[in-house]
Amino acid sequence: MFEILKNKGRIEGIAKVTGKAKYSAEYALPNLAHGVIVGSTIPSGFITNINIEEAKQVPGVIDVLSYWNKPEVSTFDNPEKSKKIPAFHKYFHTTKINYSDQPVALVLADTLEDASYAATLLKIDYKTEDFNVNFHESLKDLELKPFKAERGNLEAWQNADYISENEYTIAMEVHNPMEMHATIAHWTAENKLSLYDKSQGVNGVQWNLGRFFDLPEENITVNSEFVGGGFGSGLMTWFNTVAASLGAKLIERPVKVGLTRPQMFTMVGYRPTSWQKVKIGANKDEKLLGVLHHAAHNQSKYNVYSRDLSGITSKVYAFENVKRFTGYSPLNLPIPTWMRGPGDSSGTFAVESAIDELCYKMNADPVDIRLNNIAPYSMDSGKPWSTHYLNECLERGAKEIGWDDRPNQPKQLKDGDWYTGYGVGVGLWNASRRNAGASIEMKRDGNIIVRTAMTDIGTGTGQAIVNMTHEFLGIPREKISIELGNSIHPKSVTQGGSWGLSSLSGAVDAASTALKRKLADYAWGKSEVTKLDAVILSDSGVAFINDQKKSVSYQDIFQKYNLNEIYVEEYSNAGGEEEKYAFCSSAAHFYKVKVNVVTGKVKMDRMVIVVDGGKIINPQAAANQIIGAAVGGVGMAMREKQEVDLASGRLIGSDFAGYHVTVNADVPIIEVSFINKPDYNRNPAGAKGLGEVGLLGSAPAITNAIYNAIGKRFTNLPVTPDMIV
Amino acid sequence: MKPFEFHRAINSDDVFKHISTTSKYIAGGTNLLDLMKKHIHEPNTIIDLNSALSNTIEQKNDGIFLGAMTTNTKVTENTIVNKNFPLVSKAILAGASPQIRNMATTSGNLLQRTRCPYFYDTNIPCNKRKSNSGCGALNGHQRMAGIVGTSQNCVAVHPSDFCVALAALDAEVFITKTDSTTEKIPFKDFHRLPENNPEKDNNLSDNAIITGVFIPNNNFGNTVSYVKIRERDSYAFALVSVAAALEIKDDKIKKVRLASGGVAHKPWRWFEAEKFLKNKKASRDNFIKAAELIVSKTKPLPNNTFKVTLLKGAVETALMQCLTNTSNG
Repeated sequence: MFEILKNKGRIEGIAKVTGKAKYSAEYALPNLAHGVIVGSTIPSGFITNINIEEAKQVPGVIDVLSYWNKPEVSTFDNPEKSKKIPAFHKYFHTTKINYSDQPVALVLADTLEDASYAATLLKIDYKTEDFNVNFHESLKDLELKPFKAERGNLEAWQNADYISENEYTIAMEVHNPMEMHATIAHWTAENKLSLYDKSQGVNGVQWNLGRFFDLPEENITVNSEFVGGGFGSGLMTWFNTVAASLGAKLIERPVKVGLTRPQMFTMVGYRPTSWQKVKIGANKDEKLLGVLHHAAHNQSKYNVYSRDLSGITSKVYAFENVKRFTGYSPLNLPIPTWMRGPGDSSGTFAVESAIDELCYKMNADPVDIRLNNIAPYSMDSGKPWSTHYLNECLERGAKEIGWDDRPNQPKQLKDGDWYTGYGVGVGLWNASRRNAGASIEMKRDGNIIVRTAMTDIGTGTGQAIVNMTHEFLGIPREKISIELGNSIHPKSVTQGGSWGLSSLSGAVDAASTALKRKLADYAWGKSEVTKLDAVILSDSGVAFINDQKKSVSYQDIFQKYNLNEIYVEEYSNAGGEEEKYAFCSSAAHFYKVKVNVVTGKVKMDRMVIVVDGGKIINPQAAANQIIGAAVGGVGMAMREKQEVDLASGRLIGSDFAGYHVTVNADVPIIEVSFINKPDYNRNPAGAKGLGEVGLLGSAPAITNAIYNAIGKRFTNLPVTPDMIV
Repeated sequence: MKPFEFHRAINSDDVFKHISTTSKYIAGGTNLLDLMKKHIHEPNTIIDLNSALSNTIEQKNDGIFLGAMTTNTKVTENTIVNKNFPLVSKAILAGASPQIRNMATTSGNLLQRTRCPYFYDTNIPCNKRKSNSGCGALNGHQRMAGIVGTSQNCVAVHPSDFCVALAALDAEVFITKTDSTTEKIPFKDFHRLPENNPEKDNNLSDNAIITGVFIPNNNFGNTVSYVKIRERDSYAFALVSVAAALEIKDDKIKKVRLASGGVAHKPWRWFEAEKFLKNKKASRDNFIKAAELIVSKTKPLPNNTFKVTLLKGAVETALMQCLTNTSNG
């Protein structure tokens, strides 16, 4: 059906690189006021008073919004409705402090400079209480509970020929997209709210704010046309959106609230600190027999996020025996949230490390043991995989990296103080599909606009819409424009979880089919055309694929029926295919590292990644997704670690200088290739989401390669130079 | 940030006319703006030095003079610097990012504040930021803290790479005072240890400005090296760094310089190790012994003992690299 599409750049590319693309904070509204969020300086207790007198002396300061002067919201008069508002939207409706930097006030001023200066002049009194920010200490008292039904039993493999058991930890990681979260809130009329908001899903914001203000969704519009990265930080509706809306209500002016980089560490979630213990067993024939997986991560006292790290453990390999325990430690820390490959990337690190360790014990090849143990069907659901090409990813990756050169034992490849090693890790993620909507509007000249509420968070969704529409309809790409990321367009699921493109392809296909139907009806009369597959749209008119004589121009159609435009709008969702099949995307990461045992330097020498993401709609954007994710994996393995100061309960070094995101200098040219086999059971495009699999398996491929180089097994991430020497 | 007045000075007299206890100089601004945004410095007046002081590089008979306002990038692109003082370029290029180096200046580099994370959070005690408020790092995170010359009041380190090379090369800091007198401070005496008043980073008096840095000629040639151990390959401060320079004649080390960053409140010279290596053979064995001598002088904190191991490896690697660089150069 599809032909591989040539690289065409991105439809929004020029706007982005010339600064014409407008991000949420960049809209200039008349009479716009600026709000600066002030966070608590204590991790636990109560605010007893906020003295705003000195702050109000700063010229340009309009007001200071806090618990004591928040505007009336009818929701809070109704206990039932109020109860449904999450605690992290109610920071101005409580005096309780549960973590350091919890928002306590919003300083509103004519300029950002005035607001941020005045913010330093608030005098806030607290009543402090005991706090706990020490995750590893908290584990001692944490009771783990069974997670999901046990598969098989522990006894079945207690006498396995080979067993490996280890504990694993991963430090707190922060998303840090380039664009910081920002909101402009504007009450355009009594009870009508217009928002420009950095978000991965406009309809989610609309719903959340509707719930907060007790307004119907149609009273709220949300624009997130351009989003400078998310990685999961924009899946939730955070307090900056609520605060801006409350501020705008209070002072009856549009209000902009932008987070500072340090606030990005405390106000929009993070990947929580985690601990795991994994025990796996195999027999002499290199068959993986069973796995026992204990896992825990920190939560906030506000307790809105939990994610089981061991969900992945039953999916990738054909373990006949799986037993899992899980737990969460509520601490006086900000609220964690989904971050790229949430849960599974942490679990994958432990399982992929454990398998590697086992390979050395049993003298097995890490690629062979994986190939021989891939789950032949979804052992969670019992359903067959619709398509699953992890075996091909492994085979091709091994060939490309030159796996045959890998020594079976560590410390074999030495050059002065440098040792070379090879490692492999695999990633797997549900290739899901959710609800999405799209409309197409055609003008007399045959130009069309495709619209959807779904955002493009930098993943290339916009160009993918153009490519898909071109393929479905035949209309040349230059006649297709798009509008997305706005709640005025057809409702769509939030962009995330590797389901964006998969979901949207169904909607674009449905809308394309509807447009063909309409044009066919206009051109040849209803019921004349039964097979729409044979209908194609050109730049000038509608035609049958094999019969040019029948073609009718758009101009004739528009004239004959006196039309200004033709409009179709369709919605789609996953359907019966989920009854029949299980779906997954996967990737194999093959990395080669060089390790200096005197200075502790680890140099990524080669990174080869082979991905099964179904049909690739935009090879450039798809490779870009994998490269970015893999760089995130390098960060997880080697440098990303947000420290918490145990004495004050505050984050330490929480900015771009103190928290080390991996940069270009840290990685080689990353070699990405795709299996590129369609899965038409999944969606009409045959594509499977691939946003997560570039990260999953990346970190263990690095630590496995380091082991192969120097014979040290690293189970605590990140691995910094001091740990190597 | 707090509102301030901005004055673009035209010469040093003009600078002195505007200085006060609440003024700050700005050159590249690569550190000052961070400090202002974080409310660590809240000056009432900012005096821009860019038009007031020299931004030229002058070759002298006995060395090279880097004007106070020369940018890091300009220094690293200078042919004389690269020919006669390659250690300077190596150190500068190991620091910051190209964007920062395009703005950062020679004198500003000397005066940058520590990157100790406790210094940067005004809600946490820090004696360097606020006298007698306590030291958050003393019992806290110490990855960026020192292992020599620390005190009970402060364990912060000087963040510069450039200054480590300048310390190694016996540079001099040129200073002009309000009364128009000038002064030269040997580089090793410019920065200071924290002792009981860590709020003071250096020995520059309040009524003075740096006009430039002089580096005397040397015979090290390309037998120099700068090794920086850090958590990423660009835009990360040193866990430890080592500047090494050797002058070898008749198979013996005639002159040697060893200095480190990331270990102390000032760029740190390892004089004893230099003495040890003098007149010895340039061999790995001797380098290892020098490294051992160096680490025997360190006093790490409970949570940064790893820096001792890294330092040992960095010294050894830097000295070995001197030999490789000379053969490649």
